[in-house]
Order: sequence, then C-alpha cells, then structure tokens
Amino acid sequence: MADETKPTKRGGLVGVFRDIVYGMASHEMTRHAVKTRASMEHLFILITMGDLLGIPILPPYYSLRLLPHVTPQIAGWKRRMLRERDVTDILG
Amino acid sequence: MSLREVFESQPDRRYVMFGGKGGLGKTTLSATSAFWLASQGKRVLLFSVDPQASLSDIFQRDIFGKGPVPIMENLWAQEVDADRRIREYQEEIRKKILDMYGFDQVPAEIDNYISAASAEPAMEESAIFDAVVDIVVQGDYDYYIYDLVPLGHALYYLSMAKVYDEWINKITRLREDMRQYDQVAATMRREQTVEQDRILAELTYIKERINASSRILTDKKRTAFFFVVVPEEMIILDTKKAAELFARFDVPLSGYIVNRVLPPELDRDGIPTYLKNRIGMQRKYLDVIRALFGSDIKSYVPEMERDVTGLPMIERLARRLFEA
Repeated sequence: MADETKPTKRGGLVGVFRDIVYGMASHEMTRHAVKTRASMEHLFILITMGDLLGIPILPPYYSLRLLPHVTPQIAGWKRRMLRERDVTDILG
Repeated sequence: MSLREVFESQPDRRYVMFGGKGGLGKTTLSATSAFWLASQGKRVLLFSVDPQASLSDIFQRDIFGKGPVPIMENLWAQEVDADRRIREYQEEIRKKILDMYGFDQVPAEIDNYISAASAEPAMEESAIFDAVVDIVVQGDYDYYIYDLVPLGHALYYLSMAKVYDEWINKITRLREDMRQYDQVAATMRREQTVEQDRILAELTYIKERINASSRILTDKKRTAFFFVVVPEEMIILDTKKAAELFARFDVPLSGYIVNRVLPPELDRDGIPTYLKNRIGMQRKYLDVIRALFGSDIKSYVPEMERDVTGLPMIERLARRLFEA
C-alpha cells in the first residue's frame, strides 16, 4: 500500500489515482455482488430446504440430495429467516 | 387391431404400462403380457412399486425388495420396497455429510430434518418416482412392463414429473445467477475463478433424471399405456375421466382392455336368475364401452373359472389373449 501511494513519476501518479478510483468503485460493486449472492443463497436454501422451517416446498427425496451441500449454511440461514426484524434492518 | 398386432406393429416399443382402478386385473394383464413377450424371445422386466404389490402373489414367490428376480427364460419380475429404499437413502445422505465435513456425527438439527422428511407421505411418492427412473433408464431389457398403482397414484406420478421439471428449472436458473455473482466478486477481487458449483451439478443430475422419465412417459413410439376396464357403470365413468386427464399430460394412450367378461356361452336357458341378470348387465355395459371406446378396445378378456396365479394359469390366459 505504501508503495502504491508513493508518487514516483507522472504516469505512476495517474496509475495510482486510477487504481484508487477503480478500487473504490469495484469494492462497492464487489460488496454488492457478495451481498446479493448471500441473499440468493438464503432464498435458494429456503426453496430447497423450506421444510426445516416448516414450509414444505420440495419433493423431499431430491431436497435430501442437496442437504449435504448446504449443511454448513443451515444454522446461519435459520437465524436470518427466523429473527425478529429491528431498526438495523432499515440501515442494512 | 388385437393386442398381439399392437405389439407386433410397434417394434420400437419398450415401455408398457397398465392403468386402471384397483382390483380390475392390472397385475394379471401385465403378467400375461410379460409372459407372452418373453415366450416370443424378448427380454422382459415386469415391475411394480405398489407397497401392496401382487407380483409375488401372481408368481407365487416372494420377490418383494429382492431386485429383478428371474421367473422363467427371458422374464424377470421386480417389486420395489420403497421403505427400504428410503432408509438406505437416509443413511447415504448422513454418510455424505459426515464424509464431506469430517464430523463425528450428523448435527442434531440436520439429523432431525432427515428423519422428519422421510416420514412425509411425499417422501414415499418421490422415492418411488426415483426408483422407477432407476429401473427404466438402465436399458438392459427389450420390454419394461410397469404394473401401475391405481389411477390416482398414476396421475399423481405423471403430474409430478411436470411439476418437478418446472421447479428444477427455476432453481437451476437461480443457482446459475448465484454463480454469476460469485464470478463477479471473484473477478473484482482478482481471485482465481470460483470452484465448480456442486449444487448446480446435483440439480442438473436431478433435472436429467426427471426429463428422462417424462420423455419416456410421453414418447408415442416407445411407450404404450393401456387402460383396464370392466363392464360396470362406475368403472366405465372413472376410466373415461382418467383417460381425459391422461390425455392432458400427453400420455400416449394405446387402448383399452376389457377384463372380466362373462363367457357368452354361459347364457343358456335354465341358468339361475342371478347369473342371467349379471350377463344382462354386462351386455348392456359392453355396449356402452363399445360406444365410448370403439376401435381403441384391444381385447376382451374372459372371466376365468379360478384365480390367475402361477405360470400355467398365466400361460393359459396369454394364449387366449394373444393367440385366439
């Protein structure tokens, strides 16, 4: 990081500037992509594993086939789906 | 066109199903057809997924849950034990979770879910569906004869293929979208491309299985569906309704087989009034059947003087059905 901010020559300065702008923009986009991906993950688990919350959705034979792959996410997903909404949701 | 001509004129046909209300003789007719085809030198698998399957009864041997059992030359019979299949499947899933994450035991919550999912009636239906796909996609036999469970189940089974297909399409699309976001994030962070999505692979596998089975079910060249009907008012009405529903699912209906027809030579002077009335009633409903189904009627099967069980009796009926 220290290297990047050190102004060595003209082209380098523009390059650093470009990097910073690019980094700021892409960081925001990356964050957005990851967040959207997480929401979709929860939606996906909901429509495949809905039974875990008492919502029967899928032919169970095939939902069991997917279960091993989502096992680690189940706890987080249940917490998210079942928690009470509060003021931080508006901010989030 | 007789039943024999129906089979002989369609050499590409591989899947034959018999539908109809319970107790009309689906098992008898499927066993008889299987017997005849096998005696013509075709390799035939006759199978049933009915928990109260009667293939064991008709062949007088216990074949339940034993895989394809050889009955005679070229003929195998199989009764699927859905409960056992579900139990084995549950174990498989548990083992997979342990292997994938190196757990000593399956987390209680997940384990409860596996047990609860298996207690649902839908579990049995979908397990049976999968068992049938397993059987029909293997392609080792010239003919697969499916002794179908009663009509309600058959319809449920058919509609399931459609519903599954749509459902799987939707979530596969969602999964693909998710993968795109993964890739966006990976590119932005200048990481290597994300690893293969194993869930997407599972979904594609499920989709292919469901597509394979619905392709088979609706393939006019390869699949024949016969309705078994008897000359009684209620049965005729139900069959008509069911045939309309089947048409809606594009199932190629190949014809009707009229079972339990009292031999006309019984109708003589001096027979008991009871029998006379029965014959009169059957004659009336046979007319109704003819008017309704016309040239789609492939065969009239006489009421036999005793139960059709054991190979000699099946052979007798096969001769009457296919060689008379």
